[in-house]
Amino acid sequence: MMTIIYHFLVAYLAVNFIVYLFREKKFWAQMSTVLVLVMFLLRLFLIK
Amino acid sequence: MIHIKSHIVSGLLLFLVSVGLSLLSAIQFMRMHREEFISPSEDLSSKKRLSSYFSGLKDTPGDTDVFVYQGQKEGGNLLVLGGTHPNEPAGFITAVLLVENIKVLRGKVIIIPRANNSGFTHSDPQEASPQYFALDTPRGPRLFRYGSRLTNPVHQWPDPALYLNPSGQKLSGTEIRNLNRCYPGKKEGNLTERIAFGIMELIRKEEIHLGIDLHEAAPEYPVINAIVFHENSAELAALSQMELQLEGYELRLEASPPNLRGLSHREWGDAAGIQAILLETTNASHGRLKGKTSPSLIVEGKDKNYAKAAKLGRLFVPYPEEGVALRIRVARHLASLRALLKSLDDIAPEKGLDIDQLPSSSQVERLGIGAFLKPPKGG
Repeated sequence: MMTIIYHFLVAYLAVNFIVYLFREKKFWAQMSTVLVLVMFLLRLFLIK
Repeated sequence: MIHIKSHIVSGLLLFLVSVGLSLLSAIQFMRMHREEFISPSEDLSSKKRLSSYFSGLKDTPGDTDVFVYQGQKEGGNLLVLGGTHPNEPAGFITAVLLVENIKVLRGKVIIIPRANNSGFTHSDPQEASPQYFALDTPRGPRLFRYGSRLTNPVHQWPDPALYLNPSGQKLSGTEIRNLNRCYPGKKEGNLTERIAFGIMELIRKEEIHLGIDLHEAAPEYPVINAIVFHENSAELAALSQMELQLEGYELRLEASPPNLRGLSHREWGDAAGIQAILLETTNASHGRLKGKTSPSLIVEGKDKNYAKAAKLGRLFVPYPEEGVALRIRVARHLASLRALLKSLDDIAPEKGLDIDQLPSSSQVERLGIGAFLKPPKGG
């Protein structure tokens, strides 16, 4: 159960980062989002 | 003509970049899940998995290779553990050297080179540790993983704030993933506790007499270049220390504190009644004073910060400018092992072992580790 909740939270935040990436108009803010998104994707798929 | 806003285009491109970066990183991280090959000597009697002693480990990342060498003559039963902490390479490499070289004439030797197999699949976060280090063999370099002290959190999480281990000792939360705090393990416990339980089952089923757990410690740690012994092994440890002094090795004796629970040198003795020994050498690569952690630091052990700290008298061991190379640390483990076997034979001849083709410490120091390793695959 805990794993499902954890995955849901990580997936929810990752999706939010992606949405933000497309809404944000400043390029450098988009770049910062990418850096965070990489870590969330690795965590979402339980790679690191 | 459709007009797409520029921030949508850059967003799309950057999204693709993030997917690309994630894939590249994933490939690097997933490579660490591939076990390096270990090519046992011709005299191997059988190769098993730890799950054959405790089925609760079957198909888990905690299952690991167990190499069994049975001599022709009756004698003692010895267990050697490397890789309890995969960021302490001398323990792991000594175990690999044994697996690839020895021939047992009397008694039985069981070797587990990667005791915490899960710990080899990742490195410590925020340490910038290299994933691999290479040892030169006559037919090319062989790569070995440099893992973490702890079980991979991908395999076991979350860590509690406080950990009450199977022996009832209260520890900090991350220690729940430290194999050498989880003995005697739990049948229904978390992955690390099940690994510890599996090792205890092996000790019971194989009727082990002497267990040796190979480790390393940071040069600023007080228990270093030491034999840590359970009180049932005090005589064995003292005799071995004398043997080692005759060979020119300074090794301190450290009695296993009765109130420090969950460690191999305590629980193997208490729970299984075997003679339990833990050996420590000096490893700069996981100390706090080190400079850049690099494959060269792991193999050559050369670090100016530690050399300076030694000059200032801040360390518990000498640390020369030329470093303490892995071959020196492995040689020390081999010398200790030889001394322990000789002393065991003197104290209890019925539990003695005769091991042929055990690389000598002086040869390893002189010729290097690679001279005793099998060539790399395809080499």
